[in-house]
Amino acid sequence: MLVLAVDSATPVAGVALVNDEKVIREDFVNYKKTHSETLMPMIDKVLKECDCCLDDIDAIAVTIGPGSFTGLRIGMATVKGLCLASGKPLVGISTLEVLAHNITGSDAMVCPLLDARKQEVYCGFFNVSSGLPQEIAATTACSPQEFAAAALDLARQNDIDRFILLGDGYYAYKDYFQQEFGQKLIKVPSHLLLPRAAAAGSLGIIKASQGDFKDIFQLRPVYLRLSEAEYRLGRGEL
Amino acid sequence: MKDTIILGIESSCDETAASLVKNGQDILANIVNSQISIHQQFGGVVPEVASRKHIENIAVVVDAAFKESGLSYSDIDAVAVTNRPGLIGALLVGLSFAKSFAYALNKPLIAVNHLHGHIYANSLAHKNIEFPAICLVVSGGHTSLLYMKNIGEYEIIGETRDDAAGEAFDKVARFMGLGYPGGPEVQKAAEQGQLGKVKLPRVFLDKNDFEFSFSGLKTATMNEWKKMERRGEQNVHDMAAEFQAALVEVLVEKTMRAAARYKVKTVLIAGGVAANQALRNLMQEKAGENNLQLFYPPLALCTDNAAMIAGTAYHSYTNGDFAPLNINAYPGLFVPVKN
Ligand SMILES: [Zn+2]
Repeated sequence: MLVLAVDSATPVAGVALVNDEKVIREDFVNYKKTHSETLMPMIDKVLKECDCCLDDIDAIAVTIGPGSFTGLRIGMATVKGLCLASGKPLVGISTLEVLAHNITGSDAMVCPLLDARKQEVYCGFFNVSSGLPQEIAATTACSPQEFAAAALDLARQNDIDRFILLGDGYYAYKDYFQQEFGQKLIKVPSHLLLPRAAAAGSLGIIKASQGDFKDIFQLRPVYLRLSEAEYRLGRGEL
Repeated sequence: MKDTIILGIESSCDETAASLVKNGQDILANIVNSQISIHQQFGGVVPEVASRKHIENIAVVVDAAFKESGLSYSDIDAVAVTNRPGLIGALLVGLSFAKSFAYALNKPLIAVNHLHGHIYANSLAHKNIEFPAICLVVSGGHTSLLYMKNIGEYEIIGETRDDAAGEAFDKVARFMGLGYPGGPEVQKAAEQGQLGKVKLPRVFLDKNDFEFSFSGLKTATMNEWKKMERRGEQNVHDMAAEFQAALVEVLVEKTMRAAARYKVKTVLIAGGVAANQALRNLMQEKAGENNLQLFYPPLALCTDNAAMIAGTAYHSYTNGDFAPLNINAYPGLFVPVKN
């Protein structure tokens, strides 16, 4: 099984070619260029340098959110176009699950965090002790304070006393989290802190082999948030 | 010569559209998924809401275009897409999809300026347009007068300094309690109104240039509307009729002046407001008086669609003018110069 994985949900853009045993090639950029300019050339480069074409691929995986609204749509539109034209199936993977998949075998609670702006983070709560990330609680958008309270509470209920925080949402409130979690926080090296297309590819292989595909005519990103206008309309302000 | 079939994709505002056009002329499929009913509750297009609908609909409209035409993917020669001007988040959905779709089929990608598309809608509908011509582009985002040497050769000779004509329609419709989009609503209300019951200014600015300004008209309309309210005699029909006339008369008069100054024999109207019947009628009348040939697209090609994008792209295709995989989308009319 050969999977092409694409991620542009956060400031990182990533493309990887992954099979059942190994990562064949991965391109990762965390530098201020727009995804609309970089993503498609990255896909082209990864395929060409591996003497691979879309025909050789079994499925295409994409991170479906949460994340930057525009970034998510660039990745998803790109993959929808590839899948419609090539007839290849699409695999959708949570951005937070991809981030959590950077860690494996730890007894700590793994919490991927994405900077959601407006003083909020998109956060997830995972157990990775048996290998693959298992969700402990549903992902949500909330303030860093609400997240910390929820994480500490969940840990108490699940007998967990160590935490691993990942993602640009961790960077954004690093000082606060270090103070709040103190000695319970396990430090993670920088190459594991941001979403990796290789991790999306590895999860993509599993989903594809289970036949867990998305309908490209129905699929939309997981935003976790209404648009500003919908929010105001709901509150009767429009 | 072999036929050239181009897939056009358009997502610059609130329509997700795909079309297949042969040789820049024959429309084989034209699918438009309009979001108007969704944006009505907000009283205008909400960019984030529009982008969210685009990503849901983009594969659906492309698939529908192929089904309607009976063509298969391998029958097309290129993929064309609007990459400016428009709502940036909305443009990026169509552009990202078009890039990867073209890439997967190993077909060239063509980037199209949305305004060129609106102008080209005339050429889709009429075969014998003689150039040079003066073209009035009027939509929710633009009000421009262009001198056209030929298809694809434009020079902007005048623009609006503030609101676009379509924007003025929307705003005026909104405070008079008419629906969205404003153009068709004001037109409908105006049909039952009487001209001259209220008096609104015709804003010509400098007599010698081709610039427009509609914010003054909008404010004057608002003031008159409040005065009517105080007198307890608000009449939405009379107000709509006078507002529409004030706007249309300026558009037509400036277009006629441009035609005379540039000594052309042809006048074109393009863009969403080209669907306005009062504009069409008055332009026809004045064109007749001045011995000018007038062209405007049929209603379905005035509003945003992808046939005009696929049609415009035919000329880029024959010139070998293709876009690279790293091409971006831009909210403005021009691609900014990079330092
Ligand atoms: Zn338009």
